[in-house]
Amino acid sequence: MEPDVSMETMSTIRIAVVAVGGAIPAGRLREYAAAVGRHARVELSALASFYSEQQKSPFAHQPWDSGALRLRFVLGGSPPSPWEDFQSHRKILAVLALCHCPASPDLDIVAHHFAAACRPYPHALARRCFAFFPSDAQLREEKRDDIVLFPPSDVQKMEFHMLTMVQDLAASLLMEFEKCVLRTESAGTILKTPLDSQSSLGSEEVIKAKKRRLGRAQKTIGDYCLLAGSPVDANAHYSTAIELARLTGDVFWHAGALEGSVCALLVDRTGGRDPILEEEVKYRYYTVIQLYRRAFIQDNAQRVSTVSFELEAALKLARYLCRTELAKEVVELLMGAADGAKSLVDANDRLILYVEIARLFGTLGYQRKAAFFSRQVAQLYLQQDSASAAISAMQVLTMTTNAYHVQSRRTNPKLHAPAQELGTSHGDGKKMQPQSVVSLFESQWSSLQMVLLREILVSSVRAGDPLSAWSAAARLLRSFYPLITPAGQSGLASSLANSADRLPVGTRCADPALPFIRLHSFPLHPSQMDIIKRNPLKKEWWTGSAPSGPFIYTPFSKGGTTDNSKEEITWVVGEPVQVLVELANPCSFDLVVESIYLSVHSGNFDAFPVSVNLPPNTAKVILLSGIPTKVGPISIPGCIVHCFGVITEHLFRDVDNLLLGAAQGLVLSDPFRCCGSGKLKNVSFPNISVVPPLPLLVSHVVGGNSSTILYEGEIRDIRICLTNAGTVPVEQAHITLSGKNQDSVISMAHDKLTSALPLKPGGEVTFTVTLKAWQLSLADSEVDASRNSSSSARRISKEGSSPLLAIYYAGPSTNSDESENKEASVPPGRRLVLPLNVCVLQGLRFVKARLLSMEIPAHVSDSFPKPTNINQSSTEEDDDVQDKDGSLVKIDPYKGCWGIRLLELELSNPTDVVFEVNVSVQLDNPTDEHTPVRDYESADIRYRKTRIDREYSARVLIPLENFKLPVLDGSVFLKDSQTDESAGNKAFSVTERNAKAELNASINNLISKIKVQWQSGRNSSGELNIKEATQAALQASVMDILLPDPLTFGFRIANTSVEIGELGDQSSKNPIAAHEMTQMEVLIRNNTKETIEMSLNVTCKDVAGENCFEGNSATVLWAGVLGDINLKVPPLEEVAHSFSLYFLVPGDYTLQAAAGITNATDVLRARARADSAEEPIFCRGSPFHVRVTGTA
Amino acid sequence: MTLSRLLRCAGVSTAIHRFYPVSVGNQQFVFWIMASTACFVIVSRNDIPIYEAEVGSVLKKEEAAHLHQFILHAALDIVQDLAWTTSAMFLKSVDRFNDLVVSVYVTAGHTRLMLLHDSRNEDGIKSFFQDVHELYLKILLNPLYLPGSRITSSHFDTKVRALARKYL
Repeated sequence: MEPDVSMETMSTIRIAVVAVGGAIPAGRLREYAAAVGRHARVELSALASFYSEQQKSPFAHQPWDSGALRLRFVLGGSPPSPWEDFQSHRKILAVLALCHCPASPDLDIVAHHFAAACRPYPHALARRCFAFFPSDAQLREEKRDDIVLFPPSDVQKMEFHMLTMVQDLAASLLMEFEKCVLRTESAGTILKTPLDSQSSLGSEEVIKAKKRRLGRAQKTIGDYCLLAGSPVDANAHYSTAIELARLTGDVFWHAGALEGSVCALLVDRTGGRDPILEEEVKYRYYTVIQLYRRAFIQDNAQRVSTVSFELEAALKLARYLCRTELAKEVVELLMGAADGAKSLVDANDRLILYVEIARLFGTLGYQRKAAFFSRQVAQLYLQQDSASAAISAMQVLTMTTNAYHVQSRRTNPKLHAPAQELGTSHGDGKKMQPQSVVSLFESQWSSLQMVLLREILVSSVRAGDPLSAWSAAARLLRSFYPLITPAGQSGLASSLANSADRLPVGTRCADPALPFIRLHSFPLHPSQMDIIKRNPLKKEWWTGSAPSGPFIYTPFSKGGTTDNSKEEITWVVGEPVQVLVELANPCSFDLVVESIYLSVHSGNFDAFPVSVNLPPNTAKVILLSGIPTKVGPISIPGCIVHCFGVITEHLFRDVDNLLLGAAQGLVLSDPFRCCGSGKLKNVSFPNISVVPPLPLLVSHVVGGNSSTILYEGEIRDIRICLTNAGTVPVEQAHITLSGKNQDSVISMAHDKLTSALPLKPGGEVTFTVTLKAWQLSLADSEVDASRNSSSSARRISKEGSSPLLAIYYAGPSTNSDESENKEASVPPGRRLVLPLNVCVLQGLRFVKARLLSMEIPAHVSDSFPKPTNINQSSTEEDDDVQDKDGSLVKIDPYKGCWGIRLLELELSNPTDVVFEVNVSVQLDNPTDEHTPVRDYESADIRYRKTRIDREYSARVLIPLENFKLPVLDGSVFLKDSQTDESAGNKAFSVTERNAKAELNASINNLISKIKVQWQSGRNSSGELNIKEATQAALQASVMDILLPDPLTFGFRIANTSVEIGELGDQSSKNPIAAHEMTQMEVLIRNNTKETIEMSLNVTCKDVAGENCFEGNSATVLWAGVLGDINLKVPPLEEVAHSFSLYFLVPGDYTLQAAAGITNATDVLRARARADSAEEPIFCRGSPFHVRVTGTA
Repeated sequence: MTLSRLLRCAGVSTAIHRFYPVSVGNQQFVFWIMASTACFVIVSRNDIPIYEAEVGSVLKKEEAAHLHQFILHAALDIVQDLAWTTSAMFLKSVDRFNDLVVSVYVTAGHTRLMLLHDSRNEDGIKSFFQDVHELYLKILLNPLYLPGSRITSSHFDTKVRALARKYL
């Protein structure tokens, strides 16, 4: 059988093209052959000039104006066929030799070679030898007949020359055909085929052969007519031949003639194809097939068979009909032909048959059928044991890969385009339809694909093509590892390695092998390098560009931004970036990835390779890094992997699709899950853009970056040093605070930072932040585990409770390309988040605060201290008590006695260091004109330091100024008496509230003046926050201490003879002498807003506490009323009651007044804390000292 | 002794069906012999094989099994054209290669039930297809089954093999 046959094949003239002389360079030979091959059709009209009619032409109806000769150049010639007599087109009718003159200088040798080359073709009717590029010497030689020298010239000229030569050749062939026809007509040429018995002919057979000879001759003439391009003549001869063959029962030749007639018909009606013609052709060809089948003789089937003619005829018909409309008929023909393959003896014939069937199916659009037969062809090739057959097998199999969907990416780079679209649409967050998921994995006939890939692998190994072998093994391993046994996987791995050994280092292959790579995540910028979009319109350009608060989700942000899953990532030129990818090796061998790095097509990224070792069935997350080099968008479709000796690109998209399929159960296995890696959300690759270099501030705390340990309330300066590590100066910088405990930052040196701007690359600035350690509360502290005992458990602040400094900074706001639109030209700024690492330790513990009062009885004198001017009275009184501390001891105007108020703070020190506590009280009115300038400068009064050893407690006393409310009314009992007293009385409650507020304000005022500072060791000092505790303490005891008594009692000497001026010396202080009548007064002051009725009693006691007025040994005589004096004191007024005393014995006495209040109001009852309304209310004044001088 | 040699010894051609008593020497064997090869595949409308079964009783060689699949895969081209030329679901034998014949049954959803066989028991094949179609519909009615994905139900597999024993 012959390849590429069609119905018109019978009209082509076969010309052997051979190379003679010296070896022709392959390129040249191809060039010459192409030049010759271009002239496959030679018009008869063009031949006229070369044609000379020597005798009357047998081709009477030659169409000189429209006909043509068809030439078929067979490069290298072909062996003679045994069927040459039967079909003349099978003969080699001419020999064309090609000679490259520079390679063969001696033309005689060329001529000799040429003659030898012609010898295998006895039927050749014309012989030519074309010699190209002859040397000058060769041109000068005398002209030879046998060699045509093509003078060196340009391409066009050579083309023309070639055309002429071919036309000459064709013309001589035409003349030869005429001779042949005449010879065949006349002479008794015996035309035989291998079908005719070769043994000696019996007489009967000789007669039979003679009868048949005429028909066969007619058929042969017809063949020549066809070759000569005269279909009408041919048709006439064929008709005769058919008649004769039918008569003589020469079935085989009958079929041949019929075939020829169809060819003549087609050549005659060239181009035109109408249904009638088609029907005719079909009818005749089916007959031909039938006849060939009938010609099959069982006897000589072993030796020679007509099956190949039958099949060839079927193929010719199929090729003729090969159109989609007639697909069914063509398929029938081809299937019949395929069935015939079994009866073909020669394996080569079978090969050709399958090739032709595959080609025809391919033309019909039946890719899978074509692939099937191609694979059959490849199997036949593989049965031959030669490298060239293996190469053919490999090539044929490679052609089938499309139909089986295992094509290499190299052959079809667009293969993944639709997958990409699907992938991106999925990445956009659209829910993928299950159907479209299915379509991703269309035509996955896994077992077929595996077989095919294995065959490609085997054939390419045999063919010695390591790259194809590598590619096939890689595809096989990657796509079908779950179906391959561990031994098979290792085998594939070793074949990958073997193939790589034969490849040059650095070979790239389009098909990735292992490992599977997917995008894991993008590590966020470390908080030191955050990039913030700059809003050029705002002064505070960082606001609104990034979530600045602690909340990841802000309900107030625009809805559109949150569901935009395609996040944006900004990278900076020259700053290294990192991407996490996950690798999986689902196979059972150790996978050594020699290097892996990000593949960037945009060309503005330097990736750093990493090498990884993956044990069997494992997955690993690795960090790939690189440096962006140029501004612009970056796309990272995958990774470049150097594994098994070959460089491949692994696309993330492919694995994503694979995982998608695995999730739907459409793909065999998920490589990551079978390696034990968890399910990961599909990470879509974000839009990455690279921005020009930005400044980069690096911070460190002077004195070490470790956290500062502070005791509660400690005040410490932290010096922070910022260095610009970038290549761009910092032009703007702003510090803001965020995080917890922001108020612990007392001050920040903003101006220090701003004055250092612009901070040049490499520049450094140090600024101070003053911190005051916050109080630990139970919530934000945790028990220090190092202390095991529960009682002494020390509390330290939790991690993350420190405040954060956020420094927003940016480089120059305009780029060099200012002409561009403004929006784009503002490069982003950055944020440096700097946690102030503070570890707060529990410091001094405040245990409790108490307000204490101390009373010193007053001396009775003629002057009663005026309640209005406390300071004055205190300074005017006693010089001896007017030392530094004693200034706080003042006459209590309401009690009429000396009193001191002390705030006692109980502090404990649970730490292991010593604290020194220093209390200072800020004085209220240092500018008071009545106050003489004190002997100390500041307005603060400092007290001595109190030292508290570790794990001890101490009490610190803070003297307070006297203060009391002037009036006792219901307001302070608001809480207690609200229900029964002030209900419904609005006006009253307003005043009450005012009074209460006044009280609170005065308390707060007092507290704010007290500062408790502590110091520990050399450099830690701080302040104790006692405000709230003190306030609580004062509130508790305010009733008893701060509120005035309802009644104030005072005594004074009514005798005016004593001069006030005498008060100055010690003796004059005691004007009372024994044995003298002393006029005295008791003053009763009503501090309430109501009139109080009472019965007053005055008592006098001596030092022993004995009542001096009564009893057996009364030492004091008196005049006036001292007991049960009924008095009525109007509100806020004083009433004096006079009496006289006569002391019998000098010494110290104590006078005291007491009153039983009649008809006490509720306010008084509340003040007295009376339980019941019937209870009598007594009011007792402070004792007054009386020193009586004189002798007994 | 392989089955085929055994049968040849007993003088039995391979084209035998059902129970067949065979005597070799004085030993008596009873074979349940089906069509010597049959490969059944369900191909989804996306041309993915969603179910495969070798239902022949002949000890199968791996190479042969692959060939079966290749033939079935190639036959899809012909089915694709043929399915639209007729209203019948059972397309009878649509393709052949050597002795192997491909019979196809196309459901309304264009799922193709394809059987590769070497016997010519058309009625049995038709019944087989119809029953398998019914089974397939039950699979489709499963709300958890994604149409076009692989059928992994072992129940389905058992039933199909039982049907193959019954009809083929």
